[in-house]
This record gives sequence, C-alpha cells and structure tokens, in this order.
Amino acid sequence: MKIVAITSCSTGIAHTYMAAENLETAAKKLGVEIKVETQGSIGVENALTSAEIAAADGVIIAASTTVNKDRFSGKKLLDVDVTEAVDHPEELFERVKTAPVYQENKDSSNDASANSTEPQATNNVGNKAKGIYGHLMTGVSYMIPFVVAGGICTALAFAVGGINAHGVLAQAISKLGSTAMGLMWPVLAGYTAFSIADRPGLVPGMVAGMLSSSMNAGFLGALLGGFLAGYTVLAMKKWIKLPSSFSGLMPILIIPLISTLFVGLVMKFIIGTPITALNKGITAWLNSLTGVNSVLLGLILGAMMAIDLAGPIGKAAYFFGVASLTNLSAGQTSPIMAAVMVSGMVPPLALALSSTVLGKNLYSKDEREAGKSAWVLGLSFISEGAIPFAATDPIRVLAAMTVGSAITGGLSMWFKCGIAVPHGGFFVFLIPGAVSHVLLYVIALVVGTVISGFLITFLKKMRYKGKEVNA
Amino acid sequence: MAADFALRKLMPPDLITFDLQATEKVAAIKELAQKIKDAKQINDLDTYLKAVFKREEEYTTGIGNGVAIPHGKTAAVLKSSLAFGRSNKGITYNSMDNKPVYLMFLIAVPENSSNEHLQILSQIARKLMHEENRQAILRAQSPEELYQVFEN
Repeated sequence: MKIVAITSCSTGIAHTYMAAENLETAAKKLGVEIKVETQGSIGVENALTSAEIAAADGVIIAASTTVNKDRFSGKKLLDVDVTEAVDHPEELFERVKTAPVYQENKDSSNDASANSTEPQATNNVGNKAKGIYGHLMTGVSYMIPFVVAGGICTALAFAVGGINAHGVLAQAISKLGSTAMGLMWPVLAGYTAFSIADRPGLVPGMVAGMLSSSMNAGFLGALLGGFLAGYTVLAMKKWIKLPSSFSGLMPILIIPLISTLFVGLVMKFIIGTPITALNKGITAWLNSLTGVNSVLLGLILGAMMAIDLAGPIGKAAYFFGVASLTNLSAGQTSPIMAAVMVSGMVPPLALALSSTVLGKNLYSKDEREAGKSAWVLGLSFISEGAIPFAATDPIRVLAAMTVGSAITGGLSMWFKCGIAVPHGGFFVFLIPGAVSHVLLYVIALVVGTVISGFLITFLKKMRYKGKEVNA
Repeated sequence: MAADFALRKLMPPDLITFDLQATEKVAAIKELAQKIKDAKQINDLDTYLKAVFKREEEYTTGIGNGVAIPHGKTAAVLKSSLAFGRSNKGITYNSMDNKPVYLMFLIAVPENSSNEHLQILSQIARKLMHEENRQAILRAQSPEELYQVFEN
C-alpha cells in the first residue's frame, strides 16, 4: 500500500511534525510506503509530487487548518484532526482504506449550474480497489471529452459547409473533428491501462488503442487492449527485478518497450482477428435491429439514461451510443446514439416542467431556481441537471424520470430517428444533417418530458397531501 | 554542524531545569516562561502567556507519554527560545492520554521567526515521538546529555 499524507497544525511549530513523524513510524511498522508533506510555519516541506499522488492508494490529511485538497480529486481521502495522527497513527492507515473518494467541488453535484458532463467517473481515477468496472469507467471518462469535441466539430463542419462539409473552413473543422475522434480509442485504452498500472500503463495502452483503431476492432479491441496493457505492466512491475543500479531503466526503457512489444504482438496476431470479427458482428446486429427489437432497445437505453442520472448505468448506455457512432461513415446517423441522447434530455426537462410550471408549490424556492436552470441543462443534454431534485427525493424522482426517458428512447427508435454526434442536445437539432427525422425526434422528447413531468408532479402531490412545503 | 550549535543557542543551559516545582499545568508553564523572560528573550510575559494558553484552548499540547510541548507565537517574543523542564512529581496537564506530564518543552517563537529555528523545533518535535529519546531525556543529568539526545 502506498499512502501520501499532509500534516498541518494551527501554529505550525510542533504538531505538524509530530504527526508526520508518527505517521512515518507507523507506516514503517505496518509495511506501508508513505510520504508526508508538512505544511508548517516553515512552509511546505517534503512536498508531494503529482506522480506520487497518482501512485498513492490513499491520502491522509491530518490537519487542524484548512488544507487545499484539489490535488487529491479521485483519491480515497481521510481527513482528520492533526492530533489523531499524533495520538493513534496506525488506526488511520486502517481507516483510509475505507475512506470515501474525494471529489473536487463536492457541492457541484447539488448545483444545477455545474455542467460538467462526466463528474462521477473521473473521480474514480487512481482508486485501486475499484476493480475492472472502475478501470473501464476511468478510461471512458477520459475518452468522452474527445468524442464530444470531435463529434461536435464534425457536426459544425456540416453546419458550415453542408452535408459534405464543402469549403476550406468546413474541411478544416471536419478534420479537427475526425482527429479528436481518432484519439478516442488510444485514450480509452491508454487510460484504462493507466487506471490499472499507473503511468507505465499509458504507453502500451495507447499503442493498443491505436492498433485497435487501425484493425477496426473498435471499442472492444481498445478495451481489451487497455486491460491487457494494464495487467501486463502490473505483472512486469511485480516480477521483473533488476539490480538497483539498473532500476532507473525500468520506467523509461524496459517497461515501455517490453509491454508494448508484448501487448502489440498479442493484439496483432492473437486477439485482433476474433475481436475485429466480433465488433463487425455486433455492429451488423445493431444495424439489423428493426421494429419491436429496436424499440425495446430504445426503451432499455432510455431507462438506463435516467435511472442513475449520468451515473455508471447512464454512462454505460451513453457509451453504447457513442460506440455505435464510431462505425458510421460521414453523413450517416446512429439511431442508438439518438435514443440515448434524447432520453438523457428528459429528466432535467421534465423536472423543469414540473417545478416551474405544473407544480410550483410542491417545490422549495431552491428547487424552483434549480428548475429554471434545468431547462437549459436539459436542452443541452446534461442529465445532471436533474440531480438537485433527485438528491432530495430520489425514489420518486428517479422512478418518474425513468418512465418518461424509456418512452422517449423507445419512440426515438420507433421513429427511426438518428444522430451523427454524441452530444450537444437541442442545439444539434438545428444543425442540418446532424439529426434525421428531426421533427419526430422533438415529438419523442416532448412526449417523454410531459409524461415524466406529470408523473413526478402527481407523486409529489400525493406525498404532500395536506402538508405545507417549506419555501 | 551549525544546527547543533543552533540548538544550544535556542535552548541555553539557563533555560533547562531538571527539577520543575509546579505540579499543575498553568503553574508549570508560568514557571518555565519566567525562565525565558529572565533570559530576556520575551519582552512581555503576559502577552506571551496569553498566546500559549490561547493555543492550549484549541487542543491540549499534552501529547501523551508524559510529554507536553506548549508553545506560543507572538511579537512579544524577542528571540526564538526553547525552555525545558523535567518534573519528578508529574504535572497534571489534561494530556491526550490523561496521564501526568514529566517532560515539558515550552516553545517561544516571534511572529517572524527564522526558518532555521523552526526547523530545529520541528526536528525536536519529531524526536519526541520516539520512546527511546523520551527515555534518554528522562535519564539526562545535565544540559549536555539533553543536547546529545537531539544531536544524535
């Protein structure tokens, strides 16, 4: 186990250092690797580097002053008074194992104006106990901004230059879009490996992602490559022991070279072909889905988008949508992505409808304010706009939202709507060529929004029957 | 070994006593503080004591295992100082472990203390965390033996 710690006390003369000493002594005894940064009146000593923080399994902050925690976003963080580290340091190493993962700007999940699309997944970065799913989500959370930037540039290119992106500017923007999109697989595989094996995982991971892209092995190939790279590096770190005079070569020469050779060759000659075939098969199957099957898929994806409001389930659905985009050629649209996006717009819009129009008196003043911004967030496809409502009344809100979102997703599929970009909400509706059957698409959105909006208003009315709501 | 001499300057023999009379926290702190005052390293004793007790209110500096390190940082301190007192009877101190204090290090730091002094104090604080050092301080018979504990 590797731990990084900060100690600090109000006068910065004694406790800061006693706490540091005791943490170091206890760590030695427990066989834990530790580095303690002291923030005393001398200033910061033994400062933690970002690489050390990235490599740490947990963070202990023992301070009676306010310590800036921004550096530790995504880390398990135990925040205690400095006296605890002086008094019972060993116990802290136990407690940090189960400490919550620190999220920068903790309050933003309750703040409708915070419009980061992917906060939850990024917060898992570096968390060793997170398992395979956590590594995947780390990779995905790094990848999605590339897809968003790339997809929107692509759509913009169409907006500027028509469906074939005519003209110098449109061509340039289109090129930007495809470059950003092209980085998608290396970033996914690279950061999945990074999540598993830290920095040394990046090289074989990114190479595997590039390979997957060139072999047409798509999402599955990149993912498999990322995991292979991560665990290969992990195994190498464990098994390869060099004399200490050569150990400096491990991170810059031996690990990158050998892991890249191994992962690359395995990808190329062993798993590449079957994965490429599987990827093609899945793509063909998805494209062949019609009628009831495709509506069912839309219902499921829609429900997934609402059930945890851009949490892991929503992201899985979103990811599925994004993956479906990657096999499109220019000018094509994806019905899956369309269903995913439009159903993700339902929860904030429905809650905005309920809190600012249908049932104003059922919501607190804060919620009505959040409702106003939820209109904008919903139109922008930022499902998190619904979080302030879900936070105070999760069961009713999530249940009502899931119903409407599922219906919207199903309708979108039924209407054979499609979309060429992975994000942008209502604003891409206006870009020519970005959405097919755009009128029906709007209808799907309105129907789901109205259903969810009425449903949540009704559920809240039942709850508050005869009761006054705190304004 | 500049640091070694620095410790001797920070805690000269006249700030060291192996026989603290007071058996209670406030009196013990005052007893040691008077020594720093007598050495003319504090210009206003009351202001300094106020800073120490204010610090004490935040949480006790009785860090357990018979050690206390009360400290005050104020402009009333002329020169960074460290006073040491050993009590043979034990001092009631409301320590973190509720045990009496036998070793007391009273720290006085001016508002703008040099880093060198702070560095020494931080080293002393670290050394006090180790049982063998505390035992050696309990056994020390002279200032010289006390210095050696920290200089090793």
